[in-house]
Amino acid sequence: MKDPRLLLTDLSRIQAQTRRHFLGWGTGGLGAFFLNAAMTEDARADGPQTLNFARDPATPLSVLPPPFRARAKRVIYLHMGGAPSQLDLFDYKPVLARFHGHDCPQSFLKGKRFAFISGIPKLLGPQFPFRQAGRNGTWISDRMPHLERRLDELCLVKSMKTDQFNHAPAQLLVHTGDPRTGHASLGSWVTYGLGSENQNLPGFIVLVSSGGITANAGKPLWGSGFLPSVYQGVQCRSAGEPVLYLDNPKDVSRAQRRQVLDAVDEINRQTHVQFGNPETVARIAQYEMAFRMQLEASDAMDIRRESPAVLERYGAEPGKTSYANNCLVARRLAERGVRFIQLYHWGWDSHGTPTDEGVNVGLVNRCRETDQPTAALLADLKARGLLEDTLVVWGGEFGRTPMWENRGGQEMAFIGRDHHPSAFTIWMAGGGVKAGLVHGQTDDMGYEIVQDPVEVRDLHATMLYLLGFDHQALKYPYQGLDQKLTGVKPARIIPQLLA
Amino acid sequence: MTGRISAWAYAAGVLLVTGCGIAAAMALRPGFAATVRQVTGLEPARIAAPDSFYTVRVAPLFDRHCAGCHGARAAKGQLRLDSFAAVWRGGRHGDVLGKDGELYRRITLPQSDEKAMPPDGKPPLSKDELTVIRLWLADGARGDVPAATVKDAPRLVLPVTIPQMNPQDVARQRAPLADELARLQKRYPGLIAYESLASADLQVNAMLAGKRFGDADLQALLPLAARIVRLDLSGTAVTDAAPLSGLRAVTHLRLAGTGLTGAVAPALDGMAALKVLTVTGTNIAPESLAGLRRRGVTIHGEGDDGA
Repeated sequence: MKDPRLLLTDLSRIQAQTRRHFLGWGTGGLGAFFLNAAMTEDARADGPQTLNFARDPATPLSVLPPPFRARAKRVIYLHMGGAPSQLDLFDYKPVLARFHGHDCPQSFLKGKRFAFISGIPKLLGPQFPFRQAGRNGTWISDRMPHLERRLDELCLVKSMKTDQFNHAPAQLLVHTGDPRTGHASLGSWVTYGLGSENQNLPGFIVLVSSGGITANAGKPLWGSGFLPSVYQGVQCRSAGEPVLYLDNPKDVSRAQRRQVLDAVDEINRQTHVQFGNPETVARIAQYEMAFRMQLEASDAMDIRRESPAVLERYGAEPGKTSYANNCLVARRLAERGVRFIQLYHWGWDSHGTPTDEGVNVGLVNRCRETDQPTAALLADLKARGLLEDTLVVWGGEFGRTPMWENRGGQEMAFIGRDHHPSAFTIWMAGGGVKAGLVHGQTDDMGYEIVQDPVEVRDLHATMLYLLGFDHQALKYPYQGLDQKLTGVKPARIIPQLLA
Repeated sequence: MTGRISAWAYAAGVLLVTGCGIAAAMALRPGFAATVRQVTGLEPARIAAPDSFYTVRVAPLFDRHCAGCHGARAAKGQLRLDSFAAVWRGGRHGDVLGKDGELYRRITLPQSDEKAMPPDGKPPLSKDELTVIRLWLADGARGDVPAATVKDAPRLVLPVTIPQMNPQDVARQRAPLADELARLQKRYPGLIAYESLASADLQVNAMLAGKRFGDADLQALLPLAARIVRLDLSGTAVTDAAPLSGLRAVTHLRLAGTGLTGAVAPALDGMAALKVLTVTGTNIAPESLAGLRRRGVTIHGEGDDGA
């Protein structure tokens, strides 16, 4: 006869296992089990390899080698939220300039949906002078004089397209490969697939400038979606404490903090013994990382340690929150082995409604805030030998129309352009991309792509390839489907973009 | 009434019906007609040479953009573009080739046109791809023109292929140093990793250990020297006496922020495989690296390219 007290604990343990536990656990526990089984099968089968991402739950960010040799080891993604006007920065259209002020041809409007344009808008030529620069005489507007000097490093893609014409879904698509929330972001996929070199810092760090406005889609842009939560982005601040609640409270020493942590760990360990949920071990690991971060994060984020010359090159001012500071922090993080560094600078939504959304005002300001730091980051990475294996990506979520926005059929007070999903420009630099390249082409009006269209999923597939992954093999079983960053539609690695 | 007909009459009847069927099929389906003519020797079978412009440049485009609907699975408009013979056979309305033929007309229609190919928002052929097809059509859509002789053709862009690995091969390459690696990985957790799952080459990231990593530690890693291809010593305590020349396989070396001086140059000269070197924030004078520069080694951080 069994001890009745024992029976009672067994019973309470079983009762504590709710349906929610089982299901949540199923993706990690059972999923991993099936994954393992599938692995042995697939070793012989054709088609994309099945990779094993299983790790010790205590070190969820430990480094996993990529399936094949990576050209880029880390990513710095500069997201320009709001969608910068490609027509005023990179995609020079002299023919459009000639037709400036004319009525937009009917053929442009037939069957199209716009966010705000209605009736017949006027065509809007480029608002700034363009000039040719770099070894290949690439066109660039005079709003980015610093970047102009780095043109030979850039791989410009003028033929990006998306199928989303509102900010939040378009941003989600660019970040997670899907226009709805709930999917894992690029940074999460990459840290899930590769881990991170520096175990004392998060593997996926997010830095936000532009007055704290993230982007319309908010924090899901760096969410882990269906991936384990340890792979989500950690938002850090470039002024004040880098990570909120990381510092010890007043009058609490590091030793005392250690004691508290030890006690919490002990309780968590008991919970783990009792319920066997791997997320509990992940929680212990998170506390431990936070403790180590107390030392490392403040140092990594502290740009006061940089020389005045470096600060000046970036236009960085310690103590402020700015894109310039974030660029400098990004370089410091890249040096320290952080896998994915994501910057957000919002405010490119140049509709022409309020002043700061005018192509002639807001866009000019955004360029002034970002041009010098972006160029300085590229130069600095290059000088430190980091551009070799750091992939830098710059871009928004869609493009802007070659028409002057006429919200509600009215003429606008300021010069503005509407959302344009059919064509936009992004650029990449560093890690394995072809420097000095211009890929793709739009028509004379900058309206439709006429050569080499690149879908967002193609860009993602290309980025993953540079990081050493087949986008078909970087997958995670969820809701009965092998989830991938590139989704279910066919994605193409763009060969021309590769060095 | 017996109602019997003779065997001869029956056979003649069957032949007549079959003949009518074949004739009707030939009239209605040009593809079938072509097959019949080829089988009966009335027409030579069309085969493109393996090195022909068609096989090398045109066929892959048809495969990628067209054969999904115009192939073995579905031959829309009775047109198949999955073999040279089928391309010549044409579709429901006959020949589609020719410089101004139906094929070229349809793939060059604006995407908004409902007759444009490929349809339904599938990506149109790029300018370069259209040029390839135009060149081929203009030259008579032949299958015997060697690809190498078509001079005006745009540069061939091959789709990216994912490197395939053989796990047994990788395991075999890794075996000789596996024990040594396991021992050193235990001693230096997180610093040494394989470059990829498909490789036995190693990368060492001593940067993570910072000043705790010095010459003695580098010495300890030497048993792995044959396989270490990337070495990051940034911010470590290595000195000019570090055993660098023993690291004969290293292609990428980072020394940023170390206390090294020009005295380390001879050791660097001894690193035969070196391709990329970073010396940012060190006291290594540019002139001491002249030898490496002559060898074509890319050197970062000696000039002021950060300005």
